[in-house]
Amino acid sequence: MKMPDEKPPLGPIEPGQLPLEKAPDAIWRSIEAALDARDVRDTRVLPRRTSLFAAWQWAAASVLTIGAVGAWYATRPELPSWQVSRLEGSAAVDKIKVGDWLQTDGNSRARITVGDIGVVDVEPNTRIRLVAASPTEHRLTLARGEISATVSAPPRLFLVDTPASTAVDLGCAYKIKTDESGDGVLRVTSGWVSLEWKGRESLVPAGANCRTRSGTGPGTPYFDDASESLQQALAAFDFGKGGEESLGTILLQARVRDTLSLWHLLSRVEPRDRVRVVDRMVDLVPLPTGVARERALQLDPATLKSWREELAWKW
Amino acid sequence: MKKSGRRAVQGNGANLSDLEINEIVEGCRRGDREAFRAIYEAYKDKVYSIALYFFHGDQTEAGDATQQVFLKLLTSIGSFRGDSEFSTWLHRLVVNTCLDGSRRSKSRERFAEPEEMARIADPASQGEDMERQEVAGRVQAALSSLPPKLRMPVVLRYFEELSYAEVGQALQCSAGTVASRLNKGHKLLAEKLAKLREVATRR
Repeated sequence: MKMPDEKPPLGPIEPGQLPLEKAPDAIWRSIEAALDARDVRDTRVLPRRTSLFAAWQWAAASVLTIGAVGAWYATRPELPSWQVSRLEGSAAVDKIKVGDWLQTDGNSRARITVGDIGVVDVEPNTRIRLVAASPTEHRLTLARGEISATVSAPPRLFLVDTPASTAVDLGCAYKIKTDESGDGVLRVTSGWVSLEWKGRESLVPAGANCRTRSGTGPGTPYFDDASESLQQALAAFDFGKGGEESLGTILLQARVRDTLSLWHLLSRVEPRDRVRVVDRMVDLVPLPTGVARERALQLDPATLKSWREELAWKW
Repeated sequence: MKKSGRRAVQGNGANLSDLEINEIVEGCRRGDREAFRAIYEAYKDKVYSIALYFFHGDQTEAGDATQQVFLKLLTSIGSFRGDSEFSTWLHRLVVNTCLDGSRRSKSRERFAEPEEMARIADPASQGEDMERQEVAGRVQAALSSLPPKLRMPVVLRYFEELSYAEVGQALQCSAGTVASRLNKGHKLLAEKLAKLREVATRR
């Protein structure tokens, strides 16, 4: 193998002598803030099994506290809210409280400051509701329209429900749009988003898109630069009656990066077609050490996870 | 972990032995914040410098990338099986984070003209080794002009002093591919540096 000259043409600077730059202290402070926020999440009280006796005790105590809760309700503190600022048009509100809706008309855009973790830009003709604003959950409902979210927070802290999916932030920036029926598309520009719907999950990395459809949920993610015919075949496979023909096109058109789509198809194709998907993936990227073909064909969750983690280096 | 001649363990004031690294990694796996802090202190300048050279000297991009690398490190440390060196694994994290960041900000990618690069290379301080700083600035500016695919191997090879095989592991490609990219990178660097010198002489 022909190697290049050992000394690159860097003039008087020798390899290894480019100055080491000192990382600013602010980086550690921002890392600590992210870790602290994660610790808050981790302290959530998880449901525990209770005995029947304990359940009765709990029920009795609940009855007794109803009165107290009623009294508290009358004097309850104001619900958490997020700041809203106008980007364009005539938006008149300056904050949105839990339970409030925010709606933009055809000429208005607004920016919601999501606590201290990011911002959501609300595009024209959009209807959105603040559902939760607690240290453990920041949640919006997007009934229709389009938003761009830029969030810097621990995974699964920021969620957006749409009529056909829930976008779960895994530390990212993305745009999501939907109509009232749930037909829409997610585009991730940084990090990862998990689109979830009734047990179906699509993991979407930066540079990739994922369509959603009413009654079906998220489709198969694909990269921006995937071929047009692959994108069309995926749409037909996910939401049409593409079946065998679509799968053939997808497998033929797939490049190394499109193993993102193929990995998702493993659990979505008919069992008889799974071997074709696995074969095509292995053609594109050799099976990594520790990933057994047979276990992948059986959809063993740990195997699929390991395989995805290795493939993700190519995405 | 390489023990000599490498910024991975030197130049940061952190001379860590394999044993120490293993203990720290174990601590990180257990969620020990002190262990995480130790690993951050040991590698922060190295990670930041690679990102800074990769992102055209953009301190904001480099800071963001450094933060992401260490948060990813913490969340994925469980997948580090110890069958490669920790520094190799860390390089993969840095490479992927930088390339991801580069794709994200593709619209902001700059392939600067010589005049502009000379401006970037203008030394900010008047210290005693101003000449060396100026040269380093020129190199940084020339590096900025390389496409990401060529820039990263050059940074890893000549900033980190990695071997072709190690660069290949970090970039997930063969040593031959590394050699080919370095070859192309050298040629482009030579052209850019010649133009930069010309511009600097004219000023």
